[in-house]
Amino acid sequence: MQMVSAKKHVPIVKKRTTRFNRHQSDRFKCVDPSWRKPKGIDNRVRRRFRGTMAMPSIGFRSNKKTRYMMPSGHKAFLVSNVKDLELLMMHNRTYAAEIAHNVSSRKRIDIIARAKQLAVKVTNAKAKVTTEV
Amino acid sequence: MASPALPNISADLIWEIVRECNPSAEPEAWTRRTNADGETCAGNNNSFLVKSNCAGGVQFSRDPLNLTNKNSRKHAGFVNDKAIGVVANEKGGVTVISKKTANPTRPAQTFVKATYGGNKSNRKSYKAVANQAAKSGYRSDLRSAAVERVSAIRRTQLPVKADPEPKLRGNKAKKAAESS
Amino acid sequence: MASRPTVSIIGKDGAPSGATHPIPAVFTSPIRPDIVQHVHTGMAKNKRQPYAVSEKAGHQTSAESWGTGRAVARIPRVSGGGTHRAGQAAFGNMCRSGRMFAPTKIWRKWHVKINQGQKRYATCSALAASAATPLLLARGHQVMTIPEVPLVVDSALFEAGAMARTSASIGLLKAVGAGAELEKVKGSKKLRAGKGKLRGRRHRQRRGPLVVYSPDVDGKELVKGFRNIPGVETCPVTALNLLQLAPGGHLGRFIVWTSAAFKALDEIYGSTTVPSAHKRDFLLPSNVVSQADLTRLINSSEIQSSLNAPKGEATTRRSAVQKKNPLRNKQVMLRLNPYATVFAKESQKKQLKK
Repeated sequence: MQMVSAKKHVPIVKKRTTRFNRHQSDRFKCVDPSWRKPKGIDNRVRRRFRGTMAMPSIGFRSNKKTRYMMPSGHKAFLVSNVKDLELLMMHNRTYAAEIAHNVSSRKRIDIIARAKQLAVKVTNAKAKVTTEV
Repeated sequence: MASPALPNISADLIWEIVRECNPSAEPEAWTRRTNADGETCAGNNNSFLVKSNCAGGVQFSRDPLNLTNKNSRKHAGFVNDKAIGVVANEKGGVTVISKKTANPTRPAQTFVKATYGGNKSNRKSYKAVANQAAKSGYRSDLRSAAVERVSAIRRTQLPVKADPEPKLRGNKAKKAAESS
Repeated sequence: MASRPTVSIIGKDGAPSGATHPIPAVFTSPIRPDIVQHVHTGMAKNKRQPYAVSEKAGHQTSAESWGTGRAVARIPRVSGGGTHRAGQAAFGNMCRSGRMFAPTKIWRKWHVKINQGQKRYATCSALAASAATPLLLARGHQVMTIPEVPLVVDSALFEAGAMARTSASIGLLKAVGAGAELEKVKGSKKLRAGKGKLRGRRHRQRRGPLVVYSPDVDGKELVKGFRNIPGVETCPVTALNLLQLAPGGHLGRFIVWTSAAFKALDEIYGSTTVPSAHKRDFLLPSNVVSQADLTRLINSSEIQSSLNAPKGEATTRRSAVQKKNPLRNKQVMLRLNPYATVFAKESQKKQLKK
């Protein structure tokens, strides 16, 4: 689908692309890898010993200019109806529409058709509308 | 500059009432704001404001008198004494709404509509809107925004091109080549 | 405030009747959303009905703690045997079929006392806000088509129960350009989310115009005419209610005044200097800043005449520009010292002579 391209921007640099895994989640099945800050008094990860895993910190934050940006250069804006979509008319080079998960396929078709007129990119234009062949 | 009907009301005050005073959304603007009485102002909401947590928090405005749909003082047409708005006309073309300053308390007379039909060329309607916005010192700061909006609306009124047939790639392309 | 602006009174079929009335002083009171919100939250609580869980809930058993030494928690346990219930923990808020934590009581402080001065201030403030078109728009009222804000309709139209029929009332509202507003309210009726549906709050809908009348002049028949129009509310001018003037604590309700009610406002609220005839010792709150328009204030001759002239030349501060070393960069040096070229040539000549 030919859509409007995003505004020129500085290159998106992600300082880290791997996930931050919870300490010892690699050793035990019962420890979930989703990040929890270690709090123990002797914890080596908390004390940032050499060779331990990195902790999330503010320094990993992306450049303000490219934060929240998708690889296409747009930022996603959640829309539930055509009225929400109209807001993006003047911003179709900065924002892309993302149709909310609870919108039916009948209304999705309306939203996608209007988005095409407005030249607004829809990130999930194929969801619930196209059928698998 | 026409004065509002009453001395206790002004665009400045109304903006302080209806803008969203949200410290997390705009940290640099969060100073202790005061209204006409020198008291801190309880930031309120307004029916045009659309807030979303997407992309780190965005604020849009549905105000018909807002040219960019941004929630900002400059573009908040319903607040300001002079404002210009461009909306799509059902029959093609655009309708320009502007505010007269003579009678701020008479809404039926304040809002003036001018229609530039779909048959008019784009450039002519840009010129007309630009003149309306900037000539006689109405809102020259909104000239480019107004023209941009006219352009965007006119573009939406063009017939939509059908999607090109997707090119087959990989194995599918090979199969198609064999069969033909 | 030498002369107050006048408001034209609307007669039959939405056409101006020709008569005007000076705007009552209450409309010049300060607009204070903070006070209105605070008073509104208090007042909204005054219609609540007490509720509580049963006093006995979770305590209808003779459970006793087993004490220490039985290798179980010291929570009270249901005595006896012969049923699964025996030996189960009871009473505690953490127990199955125990009582809740801090059981709700009917003697909770349901109502909130609000100081009368504050209530009156809030009412005045809400009235003043109802005269500002942008605030009406910000509240979501469809008022782009109405002839004037505040909207005053001639009391002659209400005479002798003329508005006792709903069709007449709808006709009046449509004639004054409130048709879009009525349509908006009509289309807004939605089922409420959640349990409120079961508790007598089945639907949610927007609020439409508030019709304020004077019961002495206009009579009370109009209430019957307006009460079945969705979203429309009526209120006698002598008993204005903040919950109707600023629903949800949001300023700027669309109010339709009858001319008798509008005229009565000056008597009811008085002014900043003349006390009210109906409220003892009440003067209207006055504005600390009498001119709210900041541009006008700044550009006024009084302020402009007392300002100092700007010091120095007009310069643009260039932030985030790389500083250049004048000893290395010739152009920057020249800007600082126009004599630099001559100086450089002189020194070159001296060098050659040696």
